[in-house]
Amino acid sequence: MKKDVWHIGGHELNSRFFIGTGLFPSPYVQKEAIRESGAEVLTFAIRRINLASTEDDSILQHVEGEAFRFLPNTSGASTAEEAVRIARLARASGLSDWIKVEISANERTLLPDPLETLKATEILVKEGFTVLPYTSDDPILCKRLEEAGAAAVMPGAAPIGTGLGILNPYNIGLIVEEAKVPIIVDAGLGSAADVTQAMELGVSGVLMNTPVAKAKDPVVMARAMRLAIEAGRLSYLSGRISKKRYASASSGHEQFIVK
Amino acid sequence: MQLIVNGETKELAARTISDVINHFGLEGRPVVVEADGEIIAKEQWPDMEVRPLMKIELVHFVGGG
Repeated sequence: MKKDVWHIGGHELNSRFFIGTGLFPSPYVQKEAIRESGAEVLTFAIRRINLASTEDDSILQHVEGEAFRFLPNTSGASTAEEAVRIARLARASGLSDWIKVEISANERTLLPDPLETLKATEILVKEGFTVLPYTSDDPILCKRLEEAGAAAVMPGAAPIGTGLGILNPYNIGLIVEEAKVPIIVDAGLGSAADVTQAMELGVSGVLMNTPVAKAKDPVVMARAMRLAIEAGRLSYLSGRISKKRYASASSGHEQFIVK
Repeated sequence: MQLIVNGETKELAARTISDVINHFGLEGRPVVVEADGEIIAKEQWPDMEVRPLMKIELVHFVGGG
């Protein structure tokens, strides 16, 4: 099988795992988990520096930058305007012009605000960002984001950090069928089974943070997720059998000994 | 001079953005600066003068998903 690469904004990717950098028990565990994940893209958040502490709490000191592509998010934004502001700050770091648009208007569910997400995507595309909006799993909305110029569209499987898995596989499948840009399932995955299901539905990649970082053993879970991505991807590419209601024997019907 | 840095009013002996960065010991760290809603590129820090009650945001990358 030839190398199964894919592209976002003209950039070639080998790994289909985007991994988040929040919530890990320690920088060491995070580094090891990232290594086991094989991820090439890391996500970050933008926050105010804690001026009361002299300690350098920047995540970048724990990451060997040259090896990765950075995908900062606009978490904390509840409007398009706030997301655009955070995106500009992220780009001013000089580290990346990729941006994950993440606009939550509800604190309990953290579900994305679809209208503000579309608005922010339109603005940021015009400003030359490579925009990857995190959005709800609505097929029409995902299409609208693609038409607005999103480099990839990232529907959620379930609310962030819930680990509920893919609540609406029909929608995710439909989104993939209709898409001309990569679809990445972002948020809500819990285990390797969920990841395999996502990949079997034909998505180009998955973005995870909590299910790895909060696993009992994040490093081993990162490996499990990497293998699940590979298994699901290969299963998708090789074409599964259709489901049947009744049995069909896998041993031949000819020349039975007992008849 | 009174400045509003990361949402808090601070009394600082600072003339430029560089002075603010130095005051908080942030030299050489990956910091992005916004002053009154405008992003200030690093090259401009030494020349960019601060003024009373200027709203300054000092931000950076932290862990996130």
